Amino acid sequence: MRQALILVALAFLPGIGQAIYFRDKVSWQLPVPASEMVTVVQARAWGENAIWIDARPDEEFARDHVPGALSLNEDRWNELLPQFLAVWSPEKKIVVYCSSQSCNASREVAHRLRNQAQPPMQNVFVLEGGWEEWLKSR
Amino acid sequence: MAQVAIVKLLWRIVDLIVGGVFVWTGAIKAFDPIRFASDIDNYKILPWAIAVGLAFYLPWLEIFCGIALILRRFYLGGLSILAGLISVFVIATVTAKVRGLDITCGCFGHASKKWNFSTHLGLDLVLFGLVIFLLFAWGRNFTASQR
Repeated sequence: MRQALILVALAFLPGIGQAIYFRDKVSWQLPVPASEMVTVVQARAWGENAIWIDARPDEEFARDHVPGALSLNEDRWNELLPQFLAVWSPEKKIVVYCSSQSCNASREVAHRLRNQAQPPMQNVFVLEGGWEEWLKSR
Repeated sequence: MAQVAIVKLLWRIVDLIVGGVFVWTGAIKAFDPIRFASDIDNYKILPWAIAVGLAFYLPWLEIFCGIALILRRFYLGGLSILAGLISVFVIATVTAKVRGLDITCGCFGHASKKWNFSTHLGLDLVLFGLVIFLLFAWGRNFTASQR
């Protein structure tokens, strides 16, 4: 018991250090900071200045998607990224969506575009409510 | 006598495997805690703030427990924590499946995101079995050394 408590306590030290290091990179309030979310209405208002990215699996994209959206999911990231880069420019806003509010794929894709894409992208937004919300507003 | 030596060797090998696996999986998750927080959040069990806190903490706990097994320091403490952690992972994975959630995370963090439910559960159970074996081996050895 004493050993377990010591290990539990020891793990706090690097954990706290890491939390301090990442303090500006993660929000403790929301999975995605409010500034990185966008509603369907807002995203639609951007019109031609927005690139819509569908982060859902291929078969769901094939079934239906936001008109003009490009498929970019993690399963085929390397294959699909070039077609996105071909239309991307720094001044364009990127709207990423997945199936619903509870899905994770849009956050993952947005995270990768911001941090791993070359060049890293700034104007990346996650669509609130995802595809479900889009369908309601259609 | 030779049988005892073989059992001890086997025990040591399982120690190193289980310890190494947890150091490795902990390091993967510690390297990208934001993504791990997102993975925890995907289970839809905990509020986001707690998922973030756990994402910073749990990988290090796994690493320390793994090191405890490899070095055989705080050994029983490390084993007990790992048994508890794996149990929680298994329960969370099963309940997520029952609730129809598409889970992309298990014991192996984001590296396992393409694994299906059965693979997740199978590996969790194998690890759990190995940890129970180590606890049993430790108990036997401890009892023998008391004689």
